Amino acid sequence: MTDTVEKKNKVIVGFVCQRSIPIQDMIDEHKALLDDPEVKVVILPCSGMVKPTQMEMALTKGADATFVCGCAIGDCHYRTGNLMIRARLEGERNPKLRKTTDKRKVGMFFFTMKDKAPFLEALKGFKDSVAAIGGEN
Amino acid sequence: MYRKFLKTTKSLTVSLEKGLNALTTQEHNPLYFHGALPLYIFWFLIFSGIMLWMYYIPTLERAWSSVNYITSLPVLGQVDGKWVTDATNASTGIPYGAVVRGVHRWGAAGMMIATVLHMLRVYFTDRHRSWRWLPWISGVGLLAVLLFVGVTGYLLVWDNRAYALVVFTQEFLRSLPLVGGALADFFVAGGQITDYTLTRFFFFHIAGATLIFVLIWVHFIRLKYPAVTPSRATNFLTFGFILAAAGSYPAVNVTKELLEKYASDSRITQYSDYIASDAPAHIGTLVTNIRYDAWYMFPYYLIDKLGAGWAWAVLGIAVALLLVAPFYPKDIRDNIAVVTEAKCTGCTFCSLDCPFEAIDMVERTPGSKFKLIAVVNEARCSQCGVCVGACPFLAIELPNTHSKTIEADVMALLDQGA
Repeated sequence: MTDTVEKKNKVIVGFVCQRSIPIQDMIDEHKALLDDPEVKVVILPCSGMVKPTQMEMALTKGADATFVCGCAIGDCHYRTGNLMIRARLEGERNPKLRKTTDKRKVGMFFFTMKDKAPFLEALKGFKDSVAAIGGEN
Repeated sequence: MYRKFLKTTKSLTVSLEKGLNALTTQEHNPLYFHGALPLYIFWFLIFSGIMLWMYYIPTLERAWSSVNYITSLPVLGQVDGKWVTDATNASTGIPYGAVVRGVHRWGAAGMMIATVLHMLRVYFTDRHRSWRWLPWISGVGLLAVLLFVGVTGYLLVWDNRAYALVVFTQEFLRSLPLVGGALADFFVAGGQITDYTLTRFFFFHIAGATLIFVLIWVHFIRLKYPAVTPSRATNFLTFGFILAAAGSYPAVNVTKELLEKYASDSRITQYSDYIASDAPAHIGTLVTNIRYDAWYMFPYYLIDKLGAGWAWAVLGIAVALLLVAPFYPKDIRDNIAVVTEAKCTGCTFCSLDCPFEAIDMVERTPGSKFKLIAVVNEARCSQCGVCVGACPFLAIELPNTHSKTIEADVMALLDQGA
């Protein structure tokens, strides 16, 4: 019974750039995705504003997984924000993700404002891979 | 209304690029390297220009013939899809000289096309305004200098068209009040066309190309990690295009005599007039029905069709609009990054990550715990928050999007559950 309740309460926290996918049209008043209420988002001016510690915090405070979604690689409105967060999460740039963080639960997506469907598809793949981790554990 | 227009152009541009992403992937989409592409092509122009420079003689008597010697391939036109050359006039010129000149000629067209696309793309995606005014204004300068360098390149060949362009330019300059006459004389290095005229054009051409480098430096000065080269795939593709164009349509000279000789030859279906130079210039003999290169000679087309006065007006208005564009409409600037002095350790992460060079690391006063402190240049700040993401100490924040607020939002989302 307890397991069932936990699965129902699954939450994935996304940090989404306001200029990438059309996020304002994709969420309800509780910041949950209309297509997938388990996914809740924080909207930021640029994906480069995300601190790895914020994603770690989401995981330690109960999120099943977390992800960042920025503009297409090569097309960041602020030039390099998406490259910066990618490098930070891949451990190539400071501040880095902690080594103890389960990187399988940290997703990265880079899509244009016209890429709603590809984003949802990629997100589904990410969720499936996270669910598989749960199965392993 | 204007904002809506920019929003629509952005939407259309992204749609176009999305289609290309499906073919190329994001990493190799050539449209994402629109800024680096003109610079990449510029290197071809520099190297091919140096090679042409080795043989070019900037005098009235020898300029045309030295270019002819370089190309050594008097192509006339096409017969059944194959290029026809006149062997009787073949010089013992430079091997592949016509291809090198072709690279210079097609590279010049490519650079102008890439530059215009870059400018349109930046404008259509609304990336030309506010804190980006310096790259935009320097870009307008780059466009003007590129146009100037291109036109002076056409003059160096010293064919009928070059002479006509010189006459038109002098008329155009003379139409300016007060300084017009002096400018027209300065343009040809004296009151009349002499050997010094071509030396001056040569100087204009090389100095202009050098000025492009200076302006590119200004163009990049407020950009951290500017994209100076396209992806490797785009590089190879561009190189291939230029080489294929230069090899298939080499730039050559065509004499009036050769054209007359072959005029009765019905096999020749298409003269190579759009890639070739005309017959040598004769001072005093003005050929007015010149061929206008769409990319570099549109001002002359305007002068020809509208007259010098109206051409000045049209070009002046166009330049004025381009110079005003980055300052309208104005953005709301209420979320500029703020540094908390007590928390800043001087680690430089924010300064290294700021995409627009808006953060300087300056010395703290003697006796301070840390050596440096981040200082935000407000005029350059884009309010993107990339510096906030880079700061491990919560020392730099956007006032309206504070890290603590974001963390509180995350906690609230987690509390809600699914």
